Amino acid sequence: MSQPILSVRDLVVEFPTRHGILTAVDRISFDIGKGEVLGVVGESGAGKSLTGAAIIGLLEPPGRVAGGEIVFDGKRIDNLDEEQKRSVRGKRIAMIFQDPLTSLNPLYRIGEQLVETILTHLDMSRGEARSRAISLLDEVGIPAPETRIDAYPHQFSGGMRQRVVIALALAGEPDLVIADEPTTALDVSVQAQIIQLLKRLCRERGMAIMLITHDMGVIAETADRVAVLYAGRIAEVGSTRNLVHHPQHPYTFGLMASIPSLDKSSDRLVQIPGSMPRLTEIPPGCAFHPRCSKRFEPCDRTQPSEYETDHSKVACWLFDGGGQ
Amino acid sequence: MSEALVEVANLTRLFDVSKPWLNRVIEGDEKQFLRAVDDVSFEIKKGETFALVGESGSGKSTVAKMVVGLIPPTQGEISIENISMTDPAQVGAMRTLRRRIQMIFQDPFASLNPRWRVDRIVSEPIRAFDLESDDNAIARRVEELLSLVGLSGADGRKFPHEFSGGQRQRICIARALASKPDFIVCDEPTSALDVSVQAQILNLMRDLQAEFGLTYLFISHDLSVVRHMATRVGVMYLGRIVEVADSANLFDTPEHPYTRMLFDAVPDLMMSGRPHQSVEGEIPNPINPPSGCTFHPRCPLANDRCRQEIPQPLTSGASTVTCHAREEGRTA
Repeated sequence: MSQPILSVRDLVVEFPTRHGILTAVDRISFDIGKGEVLGVVGESGAGKSLTGAAIIGLLEPPGRVAGGEIVFDGKRIDNLDEEQKRSVRGKRIAMIFQDPLTSLNPLYRIGEQLVETILTHLDMSRGEARSRAISLLDEVGIPAPETRIDAYPHQFSGGMRQRVVIALALAGEPDLVIADEPTTALDVSVQAQIIQLLKRLCRERGMAIMLITHDMGVIAETADRVAVLYAGRIAEVGSTRNLVHHPQHPYTFGLMASIPSLDKSSDRLVQIPGSMPRLTEIPPGCAFHPRCSKRFEPCDRTQPSEYETDHSKVACWLFDGGGQ
Repeated sequence: MSEALVEVANLTRLFDVSKPWLNRVIEGDEKQFLRAVDDVSFEIKKGETFALVGESGSGKSTVAKMVVGLIPPTQGEISIENISMTDPAQVGAMRTLRRRIQMIFQDPFASLNPRWRVDRIVSEPIRAFDLESDDNAIARRVEELLSLVGLSGADGRKFPHEFSGGQRQRICIARALASKPDFIVCDEPTSALDVSVQAQILNLMRDLQAEFGLTYLFISHDLSVVRHMATRVGVMYLGRIVEVADSANLFDTPEHPYTRMLFDAVPDLMMSGRPHQSVEGEIPNPINPPSGCTFHPRCPLANDRCRQEIPQPLTSGASTVTCHAREEGRTA
């Protein structure tokens, strides 16, 4: 593989609180190749959104990057000052948020919001920016963009609003888009449309996407590779096809099996007992061990390192010494 | 088993979405109504799980609220064991019926009183219906209910905030079971939960159904959850039921074009390479729905008749489809 567009090494995100420091993201490492869609999947509280926020530099204080490095296109970006960060954020790395209603300003026409964003990142006149905004709206599939550009966000439906948000993200011609639950607020039929759109943009523009979601179905439709997060750590990384068909980590296995299937009905779903620990109560050793049916000696004492298997990279003691 | 427990006939609910009176007078506007539920009929047999599935704005939650009596219908009839929920003459009978109907809500963070301890929450229906008289018996019953849903008796002394989302939904289920109901209306009971927890709750609900012979009205937007839970399914679109069929039939051979579109839109989890039809359009504004069959602007089979005439339900075997194209045998 050529040089990845984004490379994250041992990223740590911490929240200092009165009761000590909470580690929300614990030494996460992954790469995203140029034009690749990396899915980041996990249950709520797994640290997937915080990882995205840390990369684009939008961590809300008191949250902070406490360790590791983030390398974007060959340059470290985690230690830049605010001014330099701003030249990367929005232009080279863009973000799509979950709720399209709160990521648009209700008081401005969408054209003004698009033109403002384009002028911030690209050197062109207002007139050029406006025609560029129209072509962006056209690209994301908004019908009659010449007239719709002067509409307000409330005049759009949920799906159309999300298209506008995607157009905004494209304004600076980014190399990487971090999409944080981009379809969660949408109905399935609209979700299918947005997934198609993201895939097409990725193909046509050669742009990489970090797709954060809790929905394995969306990942299976969209992503080339997946990282499964559990309690702030990566449990497993691998190609989507391998992960869906040959999940290795007991958590990934349980996660896949607990999703009801549309193709066949079964009497009982596989269930993982318990729920993900709170940040204050992350157990020692492997964070998954209290819920794991295959735990053995080292699990509750020492954190597993990552092991390469035929299908994926797994952080699980079962794979210590080359296999089960 | 085939006896109908719940019968819903021609249920309609309008919501007044008019501007304030003064604005209407000044601007000369008419009153405006949103037809959230439009002429919906179905029946639920004893011991089965009847699911209503649809996208947001399809009216499925409004149906649920009317069935439990949280909001009155504008028109139509709901009867449970032949006792009308809407007839004022049967109020007395309805009161005793109330105990046997319970509801589980979507958001377990909003449906439990944060200031009450869990044992008080769970015992409220017992006290309200006078099922047990002395406090010791109530405490024993609460403990029994909590262990039934997989919590411990000691959890009764805690407050809701001490529990995770899945555990809170268990508390809601315990509360629903407290009055020994026959019929539970579940409005998106797992949409606020993570998948691994969702599996626990769905399994629990099926176990309880087997143990107590419960009947469920199950509302969900998630087709795979519905497939897992339901015996029969009604598909709703813009306030109308477009198709009702046995779960197995519906998922194998969806008849209505909307049902097919909905199935097509579900992400292909197993990456089987199932081809996707491209999904057209979005749900229109329910305040001003399309004429005729409300699905016609998005339907690949629509013709002039669909644009003008409201289709009537057509029953064949165990399934009912409301579609001109099916009736005429037109297919894509």
